[in-house]
Amino acid sequence: MAQNDPILKIKNLSVAYGQVKALTDISIEVLKGEIVVLVGANGAGKTSIMETVLGANVPVSGTIEFKGKSIGGVPVDKNVRNGMYLVPEGRGVFSSMTVMDNLLLGAHHNLKNADSKLELVFDSFPVLGNRKSQVAGTLSGGERQMLAIGRALMSSPEMILVDEPSIGLAPIIVNDIFEILVNLNKEGYSILLSEQNVYKALKIAHRGYILETGKMTKHGTADELLNDPAVREAYLGA
Amino acid sequence: MEVLIAQIFNGLSLGSIYVLLVTGFNLLLLVAMIIHFSFPVVVVFSMYVSWAVMTATGMVPLGILAGILSAIAVNVVTAPMFQHIMKKRGSVDINATMVISMGMGMIITDILSHTFNQGFPIAFPDALTGNDKGALISTRLISISRGQVLTLIIGVIFVLFLFWLLYKTRAGRAFRAIAEDPNGAKLVGIPLLKTGLQSYALTGILGGVTAVLMAVLLGSASAGLGDQLGHKVLAVSIIAGLGNLKGGLIIGLLLGVLEAVIQGYLAGSWSNAIAFIIMLIVILAKPKGVFGSSL
Ligand SMILES: Nc1ncnc2c1ncn2[C@@H]1O[C@H](COP(=O)(O)OP(=O)(O)OP(=O)(O)O)[C@@H](O)[C@H]1O
Ligand SMILES: [Mg+2]
Repeated sequence: MAQNDPILKIKNLSVAYGQVKALTDISIEVLKGEIVVLVGANGAGKTSIMETVLGANVPVSGTIEFKGKSIGGVPVDKNVRNGMYLVPEGRGVFSSMTVMDNLLLGAHHNLKNADSKLELVFDSFPVLGNRKSQVAGTLSGGERQMLAIGRALMSSPEMILVDEPSIGLAPIIVNDIFEILVNLNKEGYSILLSEQNVYKALKIAHRGYILETGKMTKHGTADELLNDPAVREAYLGA
Repeated sequence: MEVLIAQIFNGLSLGSIYVLLVTGFNLLLLVAMIIHFSFPVVVVFSMYVSWAVMTATGMVPLGILAGILSAIAVNVVTAPMFQHIMKKRGSVDINATMVISMGMGMIITDILSHTFNQGFPIAFPDALTGNDKGALISTRLISISRGQVLTLIIGVIFVLFLFWLLYKTRAGRAFRAIAEDPNGAKLVGIPLLKTGLQSYALTGILGGVTAVLMAVLLGSASAGLGDQLGHKVLAVSIIAGLGNLKGGLIIGLLLGVLEAVIQGYLAGSWSNAIAFIIMLIVILAKPKGVFGSSL
């Protein structure tokens, strides 16, 4: 697949939880090699988009293509095998399990390559290597976020969905995490990011989509959105 | 001193049976998300199947195989009922599974008390228990049977195997992830239904092996044995902390030793009552279990 082909193509997606409409007619593309950010307030539908792409939610209507193939109705474990992985909101690390076990969970469908992947992860995150037999519940918030990202890398993904990584982290740690995402992107991982930390997110992203209560109100390149007066007023406090 | 050592040994053999049963119960609770307190009834059912095959064919190994296979079969055949409930609900609603388990227990107990051996208790052949060869160690005060030694050795090996599987293998990792956070496990690509089924099969093997060990250790069984064990397993699990695997290991062994020591020094027939009184006191002092619940 060439650069600039979409790795993820969401068309006219609608999702509901029972009677609650969460997403209406959402269309999003992530090109190979891009960082795309979903921006929106609480309840806008960021997590719903990620979990539906992943296969954890069944949409009411719309299509999702990953690497050019429709993935409608494909369960999460198949999508993971096929090269996408979620870094969940709130990290989703298993706090009773060791750092090592958490990382190996990421390689659940790919254990053959686990050793070489571990080496890479420990190279990028020495702190995880130093604490590999410590249970994840004893890690700090930033370390947990690194563990969740490391776990994603263990699965050899092509696209990583990162759901609100900055939540609950000190600004300086947020910078570290965003720098990690930029570096991963440079290594070739495509990234779909969701954030409420709009300014920092747009600073690292190529493009962005603005969500308001389940509808997409605006999209464009990161620069366009950063300079858009309405966006500045609503999300950047300017 | 001699008596104490012998009783501790007895207790560890009995305790390893409890540990196997509690671990099976906890696995089903944690991974398949069902409260299967009739799991010990299924195990006693397998003892009966094993006995029936042994008496019909005269072949002990065939009986052992039949016992183990029947436990796996019962578990896998009943799995769809439990899985059906699991699929229907998004979050953990364990109550309905409890009713299914209770019903299963009643039906099996009724079958055992009406069909096999006309409802009389069954006795396993000496070829299995080794009782005809006399005790392995016997002095004026104590005697330790071959069955006790064998149960303890195999029990320990099997418990070690189980904990190895849980803490060192891919399947065990998935089991523990689901146990901690089913939805989180799903989001990182652990297939819930398939892994749940694996835990059924594993507890089936576990139940079958336990059935054979119980046959060797006890030498007999009655239809009510399953219920009695069911109560103990539930009690051990709650006292250790529901779903706490390592806690179940410790409390299971302790209960076995406690019962054996009571039997050695006090009236044996009171061992159940005394053990339950002690457990009652513990649970009053530690309502969430000695080691904490992992639910
Ligand atoms: N399991 C669910 N059942 C019912 N409604 C849900 C469920 N999950 C999400 N919703 C609803 O869907 C809408 C979108 O929620 P979603 O979690 O996707 O938003 P979000 O942008 O991720 O918010 P946040 O920033 O708070 O994480 C909300 O109105 C929410 O209440
Ligand atoms: Mg969210």
